[in-house]
Amino acid sequence: MKRVGLFLGCNIPLRRPDIEYSMRYLLKELGVEVVDLEGATCCPAFGVMPSVDLVGWCVASGWNMAIAEGKGLEVMVTGCGSCYGSLNEARYHMEKHPEIKEKVNEILGSVGMRYEGKVKVYNIYNYIYDFIGLEELKKAVRYSLNGLVCGVQVGCHNLWPSKAYPANDENTFQPKRLREICEALGGVAPWYSMMTDCCGMGALGSLARDKSWSLFKRKASKMIEEINPEVFVTGCSSCLLRFDNDQALMRKEGVIDFEVPAVHVAQLVALALGAEPEKAVGLAEVPVDKVVEKIRGGK
Amino acid sequence: MEKEVNVIKLDEEFMKEFWEELEAMGMPVKELRECIQCGRCAGTCPMALAGLEYFIKRIVHASMLGLKEIFLDDSSVWGCQSCNRCVEVCPMDIKPYELIQAIRRVCFREYAMPSNTIDGLRNYYERGHAVIVKGFEERRKKVGLPEMPPTVIGNEEMRKKFQEVMKQTALAEVAPFPLD
Ligand code: SF4
Ligand code: SF4
Repeated sequence: MKRVGLFLGCNIPLRRPDIEYSMRYLLKELGVEVVDLEGATCCPAFGVMPSVDLVGWCVASGWNMAIAEGKGLEVMVTGCGSCYGSLNEARYHMEKHPEIKEKVNEILGSVGMRYEGKVKVYNIYNYIYDFIGLEELKKAVRYSLNGLVCGVQVGCHNLWPSKAYPANDENTFQPKRLREICEALGGVAPWYSMMTDCCGMGALGSLARDKSWSLFKRKASKMIEEINPEVFVTGCSSCLLRFDNDQALMRKEGVIDFEVPAVHVAQLVALALGAEPEKAVGLAEVPVDKVVEKIRGGK
Repeated sequence: MEKEVNVIKLDEEFMKEFWEELEAMGMPVKELRECIQCGRCAGTCPMALAGLEYFIKRIVHASMLGLKEIFLDDSSVWGCQSCNRCVEVCPMDIKPYELIQAIRRVCFREYAMPSNTIDGLRNYYERGHAVIVKGFEERRKKVGLPEMPPTVIGNEEMRKKFQEVMKQTALAEVAPFPLD
């Protein structure tokens, strides 16, 4: 049986646990054993340890990966782009610089832990793509998306820095994998011109909210103009906070006049595999009823 | 006799200080010198698209000139999305994003960072999560999950161990709050 360590991070378990529910649900449905990483911390987020110290960052990420290795896991899976980026970048730095890894193990060793560098960190859609495969995914679908038009938002950290990642799109500036997953579920996921633009969530949002909102507004408006999606589908939980939670806030403040429901790809897969909507998308702020209706009304 | 002042030499001294600090924080200045100011990084940088004054190409240039003061005054580097587009497209393999991190580390040591950075770091050290949004127990319950996630937040023993570990990092010297 396939086994993965579920790396939660911060936003998924504490702000949008409906994504956590969906990840657990879909992995189980696809025959994967989900192992909890007891005592795992924040990845660490780029604004904390990485902005303080390189070795400290590697210690912090090393802590999380050491917990997974301690359970004999070869793969960790995350739904958050920042976690995916931070853990893999730290991993990359330690691989390139054995002296950093040595220092990290000196520190972890003081509490009886050790980071070997064996565990690999995947994001959920690349895990599905590489370890399950589109054909198996298709077979597992209980409710087809029924032609639902998906506007995909891959997320920066899921693509770059490509040299640090265990799996990726062939051309990271023309990503296809997330679209192919939506299509395997029975949806339609057309290309649009601003596909790889940033949604503005993250450090920029904390430093200059309105400027960062303008990035979302521009991108979402363009998407609506070009492909008119029935749902936004994100590959990253931070992007979902922007496309759902912030979208609702922007509308309330009169910054935008559109309303398009948004889900994380794990939520979309979970719904297609038969998860209860109250749990899989139970915390969405922009109403998702139409999306659920279209999926549940399908075969 | 009139004292001679070598302006060029003074300038170099001035630049060197920042260069040495950047190098200590992981960005050797000899790599920066390879920058040809082509602007590819700026063409993809979300900071530039959003209209921040010091976006990546200007940041690389200012760093080459040793202009540390800019980064102590202007908070643009803290708006970097860590997206690594610049790293991906730079034809000279400068790794501009790693420069941003080095600049942040230098600024951090001068206490020139936004307050949300300090809050995030304190949450991280004290509870293991940089981002903690109130009411998570109810939200988890609502979607059928246990109130506490299996992370360090509800695990006293691991939290103590984690803090022991973090006390052995640079935080011990530079954390803007007590580590106890
Ligand atoms: S892409 Fe590289 S070489 Fe071009 S301006 Fe940016 S840092 Fe300099
Ligand atoms: S990593 Fe930072 S500097 Fe580089 S392109 Fe992204 S936002 Fe700009």
